[in-house]
Amino acid sequence: MKNEKVTCKEVMKHVCESLGENLNDDRCIEIKKHLDLCPNCREYFKSVEITIDCYRKYNVQVPEEAHDRLMKMLGLEE
Amino acid sequence: MEEKKLIERAQSGDKKALADLVKNYEQTIYNFAFKICRDKNYAEQIMQDTFYSMVKSLHQFDHNSKLSTWLYRIVANHCLMMARKLKNHPFVSLDDDENLFEEKYAADWSSIPYKDTENEELKIILDKAIQNLSPDYRLVFLLRDVEGLSTEETAQVTELTIPAVKSRLHRARAFLRKEINEAFS
Repeated sequence: MKNEKVTCKEVMKHVCESLGENLNDDRCIEIKKHLDLCPNCREYFKSVEITIDCYRKYNVQVPEEAHDRLMKMLGLEE
Repeated sequence: MEEKKLIERAQSGDKKALADLVKNYEQTIYNFAFKICRDKNYAEQIMQDTFYSMVKSLHQFDHNSKLSTWLYRIVANHCLMMARKLKNHPFVSLDDDENLFEEKYAADWSSIPYKDTENEELKIILDKAIQNLSPDYRLVFLLRDVEGLSTEETAQVTELTIPAVKSRLHRARAFLRKEINEAFS
């Protein structure tokens, strides 16, 4: 595949499809080359990573009362 | 105690072992249910339903998959049942994924407070964005990207094919990224 055939839109799609997978086919190599040369696509790549990171870090703890109600409901209270 | 032994004891009626299993997974299940429904009361209800199902059918667990994968399948089903029951939110259709890559807005991502896990503004935006995504897509995104299951495990939990998991995942990622981009523009 020639470099000019890879558009930014294709790169964005590819980033969303293959993030987290270690792919080394010709298309991936071409996409990686494009990312090295295109700051907009690099920014896009980073923003997808940040999106995932935001949802990973947003956690809630089981309230103590909810734990007690669960154990009671299951007949497993101490 | 090793999990396999704990499960075997719980299967043979040991209440202490069963309580330990529940305690080992309640945080994961509650957190996951919250991430799907974004509501603490519904998350508690789903957690109770999930462990009730687990206790009822633990004797059928055969160690062919990890207990966590088995539990994810149960909690995922309860989340989908709850979403169907509530049906109070219109979801954005992702059938045409071309729109997902149209950039009308340009946020400055370096200004997004993503390292501040307690930032209330960000939490509201994240809740709103994921609630616009249909629960089927939410499930795949959360299992694969947030809980860290493999594509194969995600397919097993959701009973989807691997290409279907990949397709939902890339649309969900692009959609959520787009929603956050617009919110911060």
